[in-house]
Amino acid sequence: MNRKRKLQQLLKSLVQPLTAVLIGLLTGAVAISLVGASVLETYKVMWDGAFGNFYFVTATFARATPIILIGLGLAIAFRAGVFNMGAEGQMVLGAVSAALAALYVPGSGIIKILAALAAGFLAGGLWSLLAGWMETRFKVQLLISTLLLNYVAVLFAGYLVSHPFQDKSGSAALAQTPMIDQVAWLPKLFPGMSVHMGFVIAIVLAIILFIILRFTSAGYEVRMLGYNPFFAEYGGINKIKVLLYSMFFSGGIAGLAGTVEVLGSQYRYVEGSLTVPGYAWTGLMAALLANSNPLGTAVASILLAALQTGAMGMERNTEVPLEIASVIQGVLILFVTAKITMNWWKVKKKGRDIHGAA
Amino acid sequence: MELLDLSFFTSAIRMISPILLAALGGALCARVGIFNVGLEGLILAGAFSAIVGNYYSGSVLVAVLTGALGSVLVSLLFGLAAIRLKANPIVAGIAINFLVLGLTTFGLRAIFDVKGAFYDKNMEGLPKLDIPVIEGIPVVGKLLSGHSPLVYIAFLAAILLYIFFYRTVTGFRVLAVGKNEAAARSLGLKVTLLQYGAIVACGILCGLAGAQLSLGQVTMFTEGMTAGRGFIALVAMMLGQSHPIGIVGSSLLFGLMDALSIRLQGFSMPTQFTAMLPYIITIFAMFFLKDRGADSQLSGQQSSR
Amino acid sequence: MTYVLEMKEMTKKYGEFLANDKISIHLKKGEVLAIVGENGAGKTTLMRMLYGLEQPTSGEIILNGRNVKFSGPLDAIENGIGMVHQHFMLFSDFTVTENIVIGHEPKRNGFFNRKAAAEKVKELSDQYKINVNPLKKAGDCSIGEQQRIEILKVLYQGADIIILDEPTAVLTPLEVEELLKTIEFLALQGKSIILITHKLPEVMKVADQITVLRNGRVTGNVLKQHTDVEQLATLMVGRELQKLTQRVQLDGEPLLVVDNLTIGGKEEKPILDDLSLTVHRGEIVGIAGVSGNGQSELILAITGLRKIDNGSIRLGETILDGTSVANRRSAGLAHIPEDRYLWGAAKEATVEETGLMGYYRKKTFNQSSFIRLNGFRELLKGWIDRFEIKTPSLDEKSGNLSGGNLQKLIVARELGFETDFLIAAEPTRGVDIGAMEYIHEAIIEKRNNGDGVLLVSSELTEILTLSDRIAVMYEGKIVDILNRKEATEEKLSVLMAGGN
Repeated sequence: MNRKRKLQQLLKSLVQPLTAVLIGLLTGAVAISLVGASVLETYKVMWDGAFGNFYFVTATFARATPIILIGLGLAIAFRAGVFNMGAEGQMVLGAVSAALAALYVPGSGIIKILAALAAGFLAGGLWSLLAGWMETRFKVQLLISTLLLNYVAVLFAGYLVSHPFQDKSGSAALAQTPMIDQVAWLPKLFPGMSVHMGFVIAIVLAIILFIILRFTSAGYEVRMLGYNPFFAEYGGINKIKVLLYSMFFSGGIAGLAGTVEVLGSQYRYVEGSLTVPGYAWTGLMAALLANSNPLGTAVASILLAALQTGAMGMERNTEVPLEIASVIQGVLILFVTAKITMNWWKVKKKGRDIHGAA
Repeated sequence: MELLDLSFFTSAIRMISPILLAALGGALCARVGIFNVGLEGLILAGAFSAIVGNYYSGSVLVAVLTGALGSVLVSLLFGLAAIRLKANPIVAGIAINFLVLGLTTFGLRAIFDVKGAFYDKNMEGLPKLDIPVIEGIPVVGKLLSGHSPLVYIAFLAAILLYIFFYRTVTGFRVLAVGKNEAAARSLGLKVTLLQYGAIVACGILCGLAGAQLSLGQVTMFTEGMTAGRGFIALVAMMLGQSHPIGIVGSSLLFGLMDALSIRLQGFSMPTQFTAMLPYIITIFAMFFLKDRGADSQLSGQQSSR
Repeated sequence: MTYVLEMKEMTKKYGEFLANDKISIHLKKGEVLAIVGENGAGKTTLMRMLYGLEQPTSGEIILNGRNVKFSGPLDAIENGIGMVHQHFMLFSDFTVTENIVIGHEPKRNGFFNRKAAAEKVKELSDQYKINVNPLKKAGDCSIGEQQRIEILKVLYQGADIIILDEPTAVLTPLEVEELLKTIEFLALQGKSIILITHKLPEVMKVADQITVLRNGRVTGNVLKQHTDVEQLATLMVGRELQKLTQRVQLDGEPLLVVDNLTIGGKEEKPILDDLSLTVHRGEIVGIAGVSGNGQSELILAITGLRKIDNGSIRLGETILDGTSVANRRSAGLAHIPEDRYLWGAAKEATVEETGLMGYYRKKTFNQSSFIRLNGFRELLKGWIDRFEIKTPSLDEKSGNLSGGNLQKLIVARELGFETDFLIAAEPTRGVDIGAMEYIHEAIIEKRNNGDGVLLVSSELTEILTLSDRIAVMYEGKIVDILNRKEATEEKLSVLMAGGN
């Protein structure tokens, strides 16, 4: 009985995202037909590009890694009821700090890695905390301030790698740091494949966060704050403290996203390497798609990453342009919070609402 | 080169028009209770469709109109999600930004078969309007005359919007919807219609903003050419408290900052720091926003869902 | 016999749920019809159908002999039906005039003519002897004034039939008197009034005809001269009301001691002005007062939800002022908040999560910061049994519970802390009589156990029924404290209005 209810609830919570995915794919189909390609074949090529063989699967996982971490970070903030739009800046600052830590902290590989992880986490976390502090202390709207801080962070990171810490070794003066010593690289999971240890870190973190949010008192406080801050305060939850912690971890994990990209795949901070692929926005979408459930966020991130790697495969093998993926993603998110529900359910719910109000 | 000369101010005036137009559009949405984060996407849609219109018709007027139309269509899609389907407006707005970025890049490939940017030397840009009397006045003439028509339209739109809000019945009702939607509904006001009206008007304004971007200076379209202007417009809107005159003020501030950051590059400052300036100043400006709480409910910070 | 309005066999189904079951009412010109019933009896649904906000499943509405169907409020308004909602539908930033004319604004050359509007409002206000200041901001008006704006609005819209939904719930006794006079005057002028309420004494004062609803059905339709309060109450509840548990005489030591509490206001007048108050063990102290005289702030100050400018708050031996909400709660303070949806619960949270607030910190349910849900569920089920809280499951969203059931959950949670001291603010607002009896019982029981209770309520009957002593608040001060024996509704009304 109880299990049946639970299953029903699970199914009900999946209806919304699945409908959105369907509408997204339908829109994609329309766009594909517009350029005159076969819809089914194109989607087949996309699927193969994402999951076609072991190599592509690992490539998808590699791409998903920063997206999962960003999504997890944002999920914490969303759960606490704050709209952190600053993942991009937090990630970039994390990445550049991690790169510098790995370059300049003396010691063995493991020490460098740990220092880089700590630096990345702290940089992202503190940057995010700044926005949280401005909100709680001066009521500067977080939604807007995080957005603005993105520009500042990205420009500042750009300054660091084009002036004081620029890699001068190459002939062309690119805006990037020198390469990190190989001992401080995060190991690849399989030789010759792009997926690295960061993916494991991301998945483990997803599980940990799921447990914390679901079963611990800290998680309860975060959730209640997000549901109704007045209720939280009334019940003795320290609103400001929980909000600041949430923002710190939210930004910190976004910083980790940048960190593992640097340590696991770029081996240096290259300007634009994290912002151009739109990891931050994709992570945001993953968190929204999964309604800020950490495990769901991980799954959604992998799916969105698959959409992107699939689209790259599609571009290699067909005439259909890569941007189909952004179109599908955009439509998907557009409809993910939309109330597309079946009629019977609506009527039933309405009846209950009125009963409650009467 | 002097830091602040006349051309500095004329360039500032030129730069504010897209921000001003879009911010006014955003204000209309805010006034009917919809926080529109999708301004960036709407401007981009306008910029792209203006170029498409220009390319196929060869007429600047048609180009501006198609720009507005393209933006209106996207705007309606946003309205469909946010009003009809009751999606979270912030999420829908973010989606719109992403969607339009994808659609325009896709369009560049599908229509013009190019990547990154499209330029055609046969395309004609917006004309410069010389205003008869003012043109003759020494300093003021240079400052105020010789801009594209859309620059003047932007300022005109602000004045019209002011009159609309505070002198007309429909404007009064629009304000009512934003203040208390439930009450407006219970009075039998056509809330949904007013909301769609505001969203369409916002689309037109953002479309014009986009047209100014793609036809105003160099007649071309580049991928993501809005470069965050939609978000700046959003901030300008909040800084101006969704009041048309306030928005003119805050847009002027951004225009000046923008122009200043470009000008400062000539003074051997790292470009990153000059480019940062508008954002940092905006953050500081937000500290002094009075009545900051009023809009915070609007933006639905309470919960992401 | 001609009726201006008849509703015949009105039925409304929401899925399985039958909100209205063949309800019929009729109304003559110049008549006052009272529709009475508990919360959930179907009064609101019936009126929403009349006002076009809901479509009936079956049944017909006959207006002035014509069969009508309203697709929305606009239809109803155009047909001369006006509604004064329980929660005022006002724009606080707009002026009184703007609030009244909205929807039918006078124009000149296409522009909004605010001057003509103000003149019209003045005229209307004189004609019906309803006093307002046309140029004041609605947000600056008192509750009574706001209600007058609402009444003028429906008159301005040309209503001949005026629905008043629980109009007296928010008013002071004096304002109630005034409203009842206005209702009588309007009826005299030929307006027909439908009064939705559960307050029977008022019904007996102004109504000509009374229709009683229970569980979506009509249980009685009587003329005023043929009935009395007791009969109406029985028709409403379907059974006799219980007598409350006897109170045991207790002489406890001081428990809550508030000294010289001051909270400054935005302008010159402080919100709380050097207020001192003591609640003893085994005592219920009721705070009477017109809402907005500092009662809410007093509660927030004691519970730690609002900063104070001066004074001290002590609970037993513990100093409360300056400490956190959590500290105060663990020092022995429980709190039934005045607004259950704002403070008392989170609509999105499950019943279990709403119940868990505060308990998740207790050692019994918290094992090295992992919440022991199984243990807590037993406790929660106990509450649900004891208070007969109706919920489909523990996973139901709190917002889906009816107001009364959610209130019972909150009351159960706060009583469950078994603290020495309880603040009960509007503990029975918007709950039905059955739930009200439960809650009153529980509060008296707590008092009889030797705990202290501070009761704040806008219902004088509630204050008079429960309190051992009654403190009257006016403009941030306690103007008088009366003993249970000497307090009467009349005395309190005078004190609440600032008199002696």
